Amino acid sequence: MEEILRMEHITKRFGEFYANRDINLSVLKGEVHTLLGENGAGKSTLMNILFGLYQPSGGQIFLHGKPVAIDSPATAVKLGIGMVHQHFMLVEAMTVFENIILGDRNTKGIFIDRNARRKEILELSERYNLDVELDKPITEIAVGAQQRVEILKALYRGAELLVLDEPTAALTDIEVEGLFRIMKKLVGEGKSIIFISHKMREVMQISDRITILRAGETVRTVERGETTGEELAGLMIGRELAPSHYAKVTKPGAAVVSLHDVDYQKKSKHNGLNGVTLEVGRGEILGIAGVDGNGQSQLAQLVTGVIAPEGGSVDMKGSRVATFSPNGFILENVSHIPEDRNKMGLIGNMSVMENILLKETGDPRFSDAGGWHLKRKAMRTYAEQMQQKYDIRCTSVAQESRNLSGGNQQKVILARELENHPDLLVAVHPTRGLDIGATRFVHDTMISARDAGCGVLLISADFDEILEMSDRIIVIFEGKIMGEYPGSNPPIDQISLAMAGK
Amino acid sequence: MDMNFVTNLLLASVRMATPLIFISLAELYSQRAGLTNIGLEGLATIGSLAGFMVSLLTGSPMLGVLAGLLAGILVNMIFAYATISLCAEQIVYGMAINIFAPALAAFVYRVYFGSGSELVQVKLMNTLSSSVGITPSNFFARLLLDQTFMVYLAYALVVFTAIYFNRTKSGLNYKAVGEYPKAAATLGIDVIRTKYLASIICGALAGMGGAYLTTCYTTTYVDGNVAGRGFIALAAVIFGRWSAGGVLLACLFFGFCDALQIRLQVMSFGLPYQFFQMIPYVATVLVLALIGMKKAGPKSCGKPYRREER
Repeated sequence: MEEILRMEHITKRFGEFYANRDINLSVLKGEVHTLLGENGAGKSTLMNILFGLYQPSGGQIFLHGKPVAIDSPATAVKLGIGMVHQHFMLVEAMTVFENIILGDRNTKGIFIDRNARRKEILELSERYNLDVELDKPITEIAVGAQQRVEILKALYRGAELLVLDEPTAALTDIEVEGLFRIMKKLVGEGKSIIFISHKMREVMQISDRITILRAGETVRTVERGETTGEELAGLMIGRELAPSHYAKVTKPGAAVVSLHDVDYQKKSKHNGLNGVTLEVGRGEILGIAGVDGNGQSQLAQLVTGVIAPEGGSVDMKGSRVATFSPNGFILENVSHIPEDRNKMGLIGNMSVMENILLKETGDPRFSDAGGWHLKRKAMRTYAEQMQQKYDIRCTSVAQESRNLSGGNQQKVILARELENHPDLLVAVHPTRGLDIGATRFVHDTMISARDAGCGVLLISADFDEILEMSDRIIVIFEGKIMGEYPGSNPPIDQISLAMAGK
Repeated sequence: MDMNFVTNLLLASVRMATPLIFISLAELYSQRAGLTNIGLEGLATIGSLAGFMVSLLTGSPMLGVLAGLLAGILVNMIFAYATISLCAEQIVYGMAINIFAPALAAFVYRVYFGSGSELVQVKLMNTLSSSVGITPSNFFARLLLDQTFMVYLAYALVVFTAIYFNRTKSGLNYKAVGEYPKAAATLGIDVIRTKYLASIICGALAGMGGAYLTTCYTTTYVDGNVAGRGFIALAAVIFGRWSAGGVLLACLFFGFCDALQIRLQVMSFGLPYQFFQMIPYVATVLVLALIGMKKAGPKSCGKPYRREER
């Protein structure tokens, strides 16, 4: 088959740091070529170079055998390269139609010829089964639909080579299936796709060939048929990773928190709770399974005191909760790994040290004069201990937390939330967006908290995570509890049906 | 209150709204490209002085307006370079323009005219009716004909702006820069160029708005003659929901308040005149408080755009 793209000896430095070092990549016409690697392995950097967003410090790119210099995204588009970024490049204040024609240079005239453009877009969307509503604003369509808009945008600009940067990260399983059908259709029509992912199951399902990157360098390119998921994982993280099996707890201790018939905006299908009764005991992990947006956020906010129930009651360690406030729950020794670490979990502009100690500033170890004087030295020593213990990779504890990778940010939160031995840990999507190594670390840490007697409420949209971690599983759908299942040998089919509301 | 009062009030509203329209459109073009420029007051002041001096020296108010436009662009290039190329804080540099430009204007005026108390006067721009030599009598004829070129230009610019942002490809691309510059860049839109273009338009329009005050409105230049119009224009952009038509209505409203206060001052009612002078400013505060910030403006406003941000 014809080679459409070859990248040779690509190097990219940011100051002293090599994001890419001597990377080689070759993509054939009509194939799905996966770039596999952990967070920070240099996948996105490489693709940003291909798309002209970054200039390489060294190396050469060939398209159809000819050397090209891609100095801007405009050039990349002209050369037939389209990119769907991990964080969508869609203007929210505009409609789907406007987003697709934005920056269009192929048509003549000053004014927008709406009818002609619509016709072209609809032809494309039919040909590749990319179903979109052209007149809706971006804010009103689902994530899966936004992604179809992105693909359509690239095709509309005449892309022959499509880069999909972690396209499945934000999608539900059903949406992922839809995306894969579209990808197969695209390569069937002779387009080439570079697929970026670190989800092994998906990689083995969709790829023709796989190139593995590690720490900014190419490890190897393999055919899908010649490898296994385990081998790929090993190549990706540079060591063997034994499959994890955590022992399940069947007899939990006394209840830490129990909800009785709790309502919160119960008419809302996506943001409410309707008659929820559940209990988390000491030393067990209760997993809440369900598709995102079925009341999980509200459940998490309720058991951390951010919102108060509109009906029913909540007992904390045997006594009824009268007032709901985050501080009240913190004083009850409830810890929280929030669903969005950047918005709720960390203060990005503050240092790692300050984030670790946010809840401890009143502690006499770190301040005196009633909190009016902070003991910087003691704080720093403690933060550095935590940096060691939780393996937080940062230049120093004074580094701003927003500059850390997702995995390291999550470790900062773990250090803050777990070090004071909580009675209840509420963990919401604790490994979303994390790579295999960091995910394993978070899971191990949660299991040891459980074994130390902490009750854990795990809320996750990642079904594999729920199955691996939970001692008991509860399925939530449209704010209602659909059923409870044991964590060991769970009835997977039944749970799947319950998650779909059946 | 007779009919004459109302007619004159409405005609004055249109005149008073004109500088606001120029200055508000300046801000609209700036914010649509993601640049919150609070330096309008300074830009208008320098435009006002340049307009005054050139129209005095050449005897042509039109050349005065042109000078105001160029002076506005020149001063706004400081803001543009600092905020676009150096990624400096927009509010800080806008404030710097507000401090620097009026001081520069006052300095130039003193150096040139000395510090005497005698006010130098210039000829104002003719209205359409007087240049063709007719005297319109009824209200609508006066509204349509008894205006200077600048008034017609202001309304033409409003129409042009509305069409540009809503109907043209270039306008759509321009708006994308203000909403999500990174996305615009991935579509091959030159973000930096658009932002500089926006700064040129902003400086030009704000300078013209200032020049209007000394070529069409009063015959002299005095320090502080812009009198907060740069800030009222900022409010007009928010009140007008970042659309050309909305901005026009907001400016007419503020212009009306201004015209009203002058007339009430003359009628006095025994109250100190400063009380009536407050009206446009109180109206601004009330409007901003009432409409709130529900729909915020272009998303990237205030944020610098860095090309290789990781």
